[in-house]
Amino acid sequence: MKSGSPDIFERSRDLVLYLTYTNLRVESSRYYLNFLWWIIDPLLMLATYYILFGLIIQHSVPDFIPFLLVGLVCWQWFSNSVSHAMGSVLSSGMLIRQVYFPKLVLPVSVLLVDFVKILVVIAVLLVFVWSYGFAPGVHYLALPLVMMVQAVLIYGVAVMMAGLVPLLPDLRLIVLALLQLSFFLSGVLFQPTDVPEQFLWLFYLNPMAPIIEAWRAILLYAAWPHWGNLGQALVIGVACSLAGNLLFRQLDPVFPNIVEEG
Amino acid sequence: MQALVELENASYRAPRRRGLFGPARPEILQQISFSICAGESIAVIGANGSGKTTLLRLLAGIYRPSAGKVTNRSATTSMLSIGVGFVPQLSGRENAILSGILLGFTRRQVESRIAQIREFSDLGAAFEAPLATYSSGMRARLGFSVSALLEPDLLLIDEVFAVGDKDFVKKSMAVMENKFRSTHTIVMVSHNLQLIGRICSRTLWIDKGRCRMDGPTEEVVAAYQGTAEAPVS
Repeated sequence: MKSGSPDIFERSRDLVLYLTYTNLRVESSRYYLNFLWWIIDPLLMLATYYILFGLIIQHSVPDFIPFLLVGLVCWQWFSNSVSHAMGSVLSSGMLIRQVYFPKLVLPVSVLLVDFVKILVVIAVLLVFVWSYGFAPGVHYLALPLVMMVQAVLIYGVAVMMAGLVPLLPDLRLIVLALLQLSFFLSGVLFQPTDVPEQFLWLFYLNPMAPIIEAWRAILLYAAWPHWGNLGQALVIGVACSLAGNLLFRQLDPVFPNIVEEG
Repeated sequence: MQALVELENASYRAPRRRGLFGPARPEILQQISFSICAGESIAVIGANGSGKTTLLRLLAGIYRPSAGKVTNRSATTSMLSIGVGFVPQLSGRENAILSGILLGFTRRQVESRIAQIREFSDLGAAFEAPLATYSSGMRARLGFSVSALLEPDLLLIDEVFAVGDKDFVKKSMAVMENKFRSTHTIVMVSHNLQLIGRICSRTLWIDKGRCRMDGPTEEVVAAYQGTAEAPVS
């Protein structure tokens, strides 16, 4: 049996999938309640926001609870993915010095782990939304499309950051701060109609804003997403993805030299 | 005949300084030049910290030289590392598959050999238990059993055999020596001068990042043994 020769694509695919599987297994085996935490953890998070913004702080949005939860779940997918994946190369210093493999495998497998976990949360969210009285309709057809746009955006931002963080580890802290800021600017807690008209274009420059709006349109308002704004998010996502891939192609042989052992 | 691998004034510097106010980066390898022909078995000797492992990583293509050139014309190169990517929470079987994929196999290739790995490792029922429950000897046995599958054109070895108990050492040595005969080209880092004398016809002596001597094993080992840094045999 020859090694290394067969097919770099097949090998990378196997590596991504097996790493995803083992990561999910390792993560769940760490706790007594095992994979039940994939549901409990987001539920606790949602409960926190419910207590804060549903019970304590006053607001004007009708049906604020489902409004908030849809936005939160959508945002969590983006935020968790980016914050987990951006350190994936930096934290694999030991491994990438022992064997050669395409380093892009590292952020991609982390993204898949978060994707599997968010699918569970989305399932819970849908059940909640339906039981709240928002029945599914024909507009659900657009949901896979919106999720695809979001997936492209997440891939682009996460891969770009995973490539840049080894060069400048400080970037991690900056990105975490930016994620915090854009959480408040993406309209998770307010409606686009609350934004002053002259700043609306600025609000929509953030690609997560139209994506969150699209989720709400589909799940709560029985409406189609705003295709123009969504298209703009897609363009940003594709641009980031291309930049991220280019970065990894350039840095792939450099990473083992610059990432410290550990 | 064209050399399989060529190093021309290859140097390697450690990773960037640690932070803005960190110390300067030391040069681990300085202007190493030599070539390897297909079919050669070469040993690399030298004191700890002289740059032997870094040299292997340059040959494996894991590192890129910071100056000079490394040309590798072999179709497949593997660094024989034991326990690559092992995760304590996973079972022996899962670790074997993960490690095998990392070493360059497809999942299908590893899984078709999993019975062989299990048998060779002598782990029995422990093969399905989490790695965290293993002793270091059991861990090494599992790692070796996966690595023993490798059959590259250029095999790089960083002091990996003689793992586990006495019986397993014997077994793994037999596998290694068999591999030395069947593999075309080998570069091996070792402190075991007897083993080197038996297996490698040519030896490279690395001293503080420089190539101090390169020639027939008996001559280089004799010169090396004359210095204080040679291991006591």
